[in-house]
Amino acid sequence: MGSGEEFEPKIVAFLCNWCTYTGADLAGVSRIQYPPNVRPIRVMCSGSVDPMYILKALLDGADGVLVGGCHPGDCHYVSGNYKARRRLAVLSAILDEFGIDSRRVWFRFISASEGALFAKTVRDMRDALKALGPNPARALWIA
Amino acid sequence: MKDLLIAVGQEGREKALSRFLARLLETGAVDGLVVPAEAAPGVITHVLAKDPRLVERSARPLAPVMPLSAAQVVSEVVRTRPSGKVAAVLRPCEGRALVELMKLKQAAPENVVAIGIDCAGTYDPVAYRGAGGNTDGLELREACRVCLNPAPLEDALPGITLGFIGLDDSEGIFVSVHDRLDPAVAAVVDELGLASGEGAGRKRSKAVQALVQERQGAYDAFLNISGISGIEAFARELAACTGCHNCRVACPVCYCKECVFDTDTFEYETGQFLRKAGRKGALKMPSETVLYHLTRMNHMSLSCVGCGQCEQACPADLPLFRLFAMASRRTQEIFGYVPGRSLAEELPFTTFREQELEPR
Ligand code: SF4
Ligand code: SF4
Ligand code: FES
Repeated sequence: MGSGEEFEPKIVAFLCNWCTYTGADLAGVSRIQYPPNVRPIRVMCSGSVDPMYILKALLDGADGVLVGGCHPGDCHYVSGNYKARRRLAVLSAILDEFGIDSRRVWFRFISASEGALFAKTVRDMRDALKALGPNPARALWIA
Repeated sequence: MKDLLIAVGQEGREKALSRFLARLLETGAVDGLVVPAEAAPGVITHVLAKDPRLVERSARPLAPVMPLSAAQVVSEVVRTRPSGKVAAVLRPCEGRALVELMKLKQAAPENVVAIGIDCAGTYDPVAYRGAGGNTDGLELREACRVCLNPAPLEDALPGITLGFIGLDDSEGIFVSVHDRLDPAVAAVVDELGLASGEGAGRKRSKAVQALVQERQGAYDAFLNISGISGIEAFARELAACTGCHNCRVACPVCYCKECVFDTDTFEYETGQFLRKAGRKGALKMPSETVLYHLTRMNHMSLSCVGCGQCEQACPADLPLFRLFAMASRRTQEIFGYVPGRSLAEELPFTTFREQELEPR
């Protein structure tokens, strides 16, 4: 990154097929503007996102990771989103203990009809990551 | 709970214990016994014993080394076929790891008669072997020096507890028999006509409390000097890792038959390697070192019993016990979870509450 260029954070997003992924699609077709920083990856449920995927993204180039799941009570597999919430709490604690700011990882409930909320979430996350600066793990050759 | 006492004579504490254990086999109260044994001076291995004479002769229930956690041995013996009753001599950390494995469906509780035993700490098994079983000049392993559980948790695996902390040989070995001990085994203990151990039990409890208090300070100091400032410092701690994965093989609670890190998931093509190296300027090889350790912490730190077996197994002598203690302290406190405390306590990842954590 040259000195004149502004830092644009890279966000990897694991989005549940039944809700947030469709919500992101809706944002697109309804022409709700959101920054291009996000690389969406479709998953079948937020509960299928192993913390290893999030870690891999953080160690390999992402500045932040967004996990989007169904609202409580709406998960197609009943409790995947609740279990994801527990796994992410554990992940956050470990990240903070060893020096990756857990504010780089967001878990949000966004339904298929909440295109505007998805767009706002991505904007907010980009702003928050800009404030945090580049992820120090990204360029670390020993990681 | 019944408190009894095994008298220790000329032959010493370990022989008295071995004779007690041999008796369980001799009477047929159990079908087998998992216990450390001495194959040659300083060479300790677990055995699944059938012959009581062999137990009397070669068992080393007090062996001051833990080449393998007994939890793994027991799980291997009683995992699949719930038939046969196996007694197992378990150090406190081995008992707690076994409870975690039982919750993970890797051992059948109804097959196991737990014989918990106080632990005076363990040495590096290779050094111990090199010294021909002599402990002079050896230092206890770090995990043992700061261990906060020198005595078994009696309610986690209801069985027999054998205690000696705070007792010298003339005072005997304290025996606590749990109310839910297998009746056939309880009958054998009854027949032995052991004396009451109430006085010894009180003395031992006090000594255990004092020891834990003393170690609490050491433990806190140990974790506080462990401050790792930033991910780069963390990665540097692990940079000598050769990727052998011995740490997870030795970890008693890491139970997957096939670890994802041993699959072809991480067998990248040349181009992928080169792209990765390009992004970072260079790539540590073998790669994914930090990913491996952080993933293991995510998967297993809730069940980490702090036995230090990971560090003992590491050819690069990395500070794995310390790193896992740092991680598990944080993750276990989220759910107030204490691994090995109770079989009834659910593994945090297998359950949830609707109203907890963020987001809601
Ligand atoms: S991670 Fe290390 S200290 Fe924790 S249970 Fe496994 S081997 Fe023992
Ligand atoms: S045992 Fe040591 S060298 Fe082997 S994978 Fe574990 S940390 Fe790395
Ligand atoms: S199906 Fe959407 S979070 Fe489980």
